[in-house]
Amino acid sequence: MTLSTTAPPIAEWVAALTEANNADPEISAHGKYFTCSYLLDMETHTFVVQLDRGKIVDIAVNPGPLDVAYQFAIKASADTWRNFGVRLPAPMYHGIWAASFQRDMKLEGDVLVLMQNLRCVTRQIELLRVVGVPV
Amino acid sequence: MSKISPVTGHYVDVDVDGLQYKVFYLENGTGQPLVCQHTAGCHNHQWRGLLEDEEITKDYRVIAYDLPRHGKSDPPENTEWWTEEYRLSADHYANFIVALVDALELENPIFMGSSFGGNIALQLALRRPDRFAGVIPVEGADYSPGFYLDWWQHPHANAAQVCASGVWDLMAPQSPDADRWKTWFYYSQGSEAFKGDLYFYSVDHDLREKLSEIDGDQCPVVMLTGDYDYLTTPGDSARTASQIRNAAFIEMKGIGHFPMSENHPVFRTYLIEALATLQSKARRLTPTS
Repeated sequence: MTLSTTAPPIAEWVAALTEANNADPEISAHGKYFTCSYLLDMETHTFVVQLDRGKIVDIAVNPGPLDVAYQFAIKASADTWRNFGVRLPAPMYHGIWAASFQRDMKLEGDVLVLMQNLRCVTRQIELLRVVGVPV
Repeated sequence: MSKISPVTGHYVDVDVDGLQYKVFYLENGTGQPLVCQHTAGCHNHQWRGLLEDEEITKDYRVIAYDLPRHGKSDPPENTEWWTEEYRLSADHYANFIVALVDALELENPIFMGSSFGGNIALQLALRRPDRFAGVIPVEGADYSPGFYLDWWQHPHANAAQVCASGVWDLMAPQSPDADRWKTWFYYSQGSEAFKGDLYFYSVDHDLREKLSEIDGDQCPVVMLTGDYDYLTTPGDSARTASQIRNAAFIEMKGIGHFPMSENHPVFRTYLIEALATLQSKARRLTPTS
């Protein structure tokens, strides 16, 4: 499902996602142990999101192969991510399970860490509906 | 003045396959029994909206039970169930439901279930078309592999949250937050049963070669599936219905895998259509005297 949107500049998006996450009531209430790092691979750009006790403390933009360590990865085409970054996503673009079962999303790396933080990661990905995606 | 719901709860003893169960069910309404099965790892509160839906309960006796090991229905009374891994089989699941409707002495019941309840609805239509006036499989299909996962009970993760958030994406984003979170809450309570239920859902249930054997004339089949369901898609249910004699499929828009629980106001419009379709099929096939 090809979607035409205007991507926000990367620096603005990094700031917007950080602010949205760090001010989110649900993540604030339940993110006491939400400490991990993960790769968001959006095909044309990659990001490593670093969490500490529920707060985003860093988002590395287009890191080199060995620049930044991460524990698990969420990978999909830019088109799939564009469909995530809208207020009301179409079916199968409404979550990482849906897109992994029915679209081209891949969950890789130490998936146990993803499962340990599933509630907060799920909420964090839904924040893309508000801040959009930079691809 | 207090508001007291007309929904009542009861327990009934059910003996099946050598196992003794004390089964809890909620009910409301009068008329033809409409027997409702919750989804895997959940319980009968998923049907809370339907149980108080006066337009339906004026014509149907809605009965929503907790499958043993769920909600207020305990595991078997007469075995050391804690010494065995729970894996629900199609045989035992179907036998239990028939034993339940027999224990309640229900005449011409319609069976409706969602997800693994939808799949067992198809099994009942195949196995006992003589015992049910029709079935409404919700989010059901002939085959639904891929969800019998170790993650549901991994000792290094919070199983309650993995189960609850693992099924979150099965709901549509436009369903009301309060109802989606109630459904999430129910799922945080059922992780021990969830995986064993999914043994039936994703492993033991496979009707791909048997759909043509379902007597949809004797037991009409009307299937409902939401377009946000990534596990059993509308395409899966449409494919299934197309191979069952006298079956119908209705796609539900803007709703997901737990329609009765995540958004009853939307679900009910499709359910009313499904019940009318089912009654129409049943009437068409009833011999006139």
